[in-house]
Amino acid sequence: MSEILWELQTDRIVSDLKAGKRLDNRGLNDYRKIEISHDVSENADGCARVKLGKTDVIAGVKFVPGEPYPDMPDEGSISVGVELLALASPDFESGPPRENSIELSRVVDRGVRESKSIDFKKLCIKEGELVWIGFVDLYVLNYDGNLFDACSIAAVAALKKARFPKLDGKKIVKGEYSSEIKLSKIPIMTTFYKVGSSIVMDANLVEEKASNARLSISCSDDKTMCAMQKGGNGSFTPEEVSKCVELALEKSKELRKLL
Amino acid sequence: MKEEENVYVNKHGKRIDNRGIDEIREIKITIGVIPEASGSAYLEWGQNKIYAAVYGPNEFVPKHSSDPLRAQVKFNYRMASFSVPDRKNPKPGRREIEISKVLGEALERTIFLERFPGTQIEVETHIVDSNAGSRVAALTAASVALADAGIPMRSLISACGVGKAGGHLIVDLNKHEEDAPDAVDIPLAVMANSNEVVLLQMDGLISKEEFNEVMQKGLTACQQVYEKQKAVLKEKFLDAEKEVPSKEDLSEEKNDLNGNSKPEAPEAMDSMQGGDLL
Amino acid sequence: MKKIVVPGELVSVERKRLGSNVYVQEGKIYSECLGLVEDASSSASVVCLKGMYVPRDGDLIIGIVKSEKFAGYLIDVNSIYSSFISKKELNEMLKPGTVVSAKVMEVNEMKELVLGSPRVFFGGEVIDVSPVKVPRLIGRDASMLNVLKQGTGCNLIIGKNGRIWVKGGNIPLLLNAIQKIEDEAHLSNLTNKITAFLAEHKDKVKLE
Repeated sequence: MSEILWELQTDRIVSDLKAGKRLDNRGLNDYRKIEISHDVSENADGCARVKLGKTDVIAGVKFVPGEPYPDMPDEGSISVGVELLALASPDFESGPPRENSIELSRVVDRGVRESKSIDFKKLCIKEGELVWIGFVDLYVLNYDGNLFDACSIAAVAALKKARFPKLDGKKIVKGEYSSEIKLSKIPIMTTFYKVGSSIVMDANLVEEKASNARLSISCSDDKTMCAMQKGGNGSFTPEEVSKCVELALEKSKELRKLL
Repeated sequence: MKEEENVYVNKHGKRIDNRGIDEIREIKITIGVIPEASGSAYLEWGQNKIYAAVYGPNEFVPKHSSDPLRAQVKFNYRMASFSVPDRKNPKPGRREIEISKVLGEALERTIFLERFPGTQIEVETHIVDSNAGSRVAALTAASVALADAGIPMRSLISACGVGKAGGHLIVDLNKHEEDAPDAVDIPLAVMANSNEVVLLQMDGLISKEEFNEVMQKGLTACQQVYEKQKAVLKEKFLDAEKEVPSKEDLSEEKNDLNGNSKPEAPEAMDSMQGGDLL
Repeated sequence: MKKIVVPGELVSVERKRLGSNVYVQEGKIYSECLGLVEDASSSASVVCLKGMYVPRDGDLIIGIVKSEKFAGYLIDVNSIYSSFISKKELNEMLKPGTVVSAKVMEVNEMKELVLGSPRVFFGGEVIDVSPVKVPRLIGRDASMLNVLKQGTGCNLIIGKNGRIWVKGGNIPLLLNAIQKIEDEAHLSNLTNKITAFLAEHKDKVKLE
């Protein structure tokens, strides 16, 4: 859909939301149907596919043995990256990552990293010499809004299933695995979109285009938050932020059961 | 020794750099440091040192990506290679790109973008020295530079970091505090006249109660930053507030400062004589 | 008593007619720029101390020819948007770089300027000043302009867009006076101060 059409839709969405109505008749804080599966790639050390309504993302984990950073000789690392595939939306272009995908990657990464659900010391193979370096790579297959939450769920779902490859010296034995990775917590990200003066969770694409501000809140458990990011050229009042925090902790309990 | 290092607030309520828990580091702002720019500012915030310059509004480049309904802010947050303890690759990294994006979005909220359709407003910030909190310092400096450029805005943007170290909720974390094992770092920025939140990021583990408490501290700190911004912008013009204008002066002000009450310019034209000039 | 405000600072809590450079939010009037408050009983406005040129119908501007198009010329007027003079308005061909003065006939919604009544200048110099200071450089009933002309012997035309075309006379002295006006534009009694300044410096700042 062209930008001009989005502008036209905005007014209607804003006035409907004021009356508490969403396009697909969901409540303001309801998520679309979430489907999680794991049959994405047999070559991955762990993988997941998450459908959030029509938003569709896949995640795969790969572990590579490597040298630790000199200042942290007994720690491995895990990093998350998201690529917005050109096939997923007319908005996405192929080529080097743009600021949108960089922000998305870094926010999803912080949500996992800051939860401290993975003990990086457990990724150490031999102190000062060899550690596991984990890559969680996400690809967006279809973009129908709220990539932040979809990618976050997919990353955690893939990590939960991830296994360390078997090592022969410093080399990986293909197709064989030694042990599973343990997540001590299940971090959950929930994202709020401000559309006009209303705030909705799990915005679909039309709502997301109509929104002018977004607040993502990651919760590491039922009582603790671990990361936050406000985006978009709008704003939230301090009261709205406080309310989002409340809702995020509540909603994360619900979503955590799915994983 | 090690234990002592991990005390972030001592029994006298003082932090490692002798500040109180709600105390921000010293802020110094100078305006107009880059004469080529439409507006500029230099800001020192503790050890952080930042240059900010505003160019525009100018025609959007590339033209096909311009927004026909409003101006777009192109924010650039960059760190000098020598601004951190280890040399930084001068090429902008992913961190700088993300920060540039969120800081630009924060400014877009306050600028009357629809007045300048199809244009870009470039905001360049360059960090030459850093010690935690450089992004809020950059945003604070950028906001002053925008005011210096005379770009119409709903409010100044005032920013400050808040967070947690060693179990204490504190304001304006320095690098040592940001590296605490339990550190929480929350860069925050608001529209100074309404407290609307335009920048909010967080990492680190924190409860709802702690978060709400530290947000209040953040709002108070942002108002302190706002006072500094206001003072420096007004500094040069304060003698106007002091003087008591005569009646005649007032009528003069009305006519000439408004600029649209009298057809001065055409008159100037008419009084210009001498055909050899034209 | 004058009050200086920053962008977003409260100008008035009363309901008033909105003057320039202010906006309303929740019934209160706020400033949009760094400037001086003009809070009268019926209206509130702010005179900006910093800012760019915002074109208005009827403004006299000083422009520089940028390029020739089929039906006219594109003119650089120190503004964001392009400006156009139709060839119908002119008796002669213009080369890029030519200095002209013209009147703003129309500012359309895309902020494109249509210029009319062009005059072409030969020789002389163009000086840049801050557009928000132009009203003070002209003064009430062109009082400051006349002071400048008489005090320096320069011929000058001041464009609303922050450009001054000047020829002849004691130009170094003029530049000093303009600088002083720009620095003190927020203060009162400026015309008298400049008259005194010019008289005092007349012989000190010499023509080269």
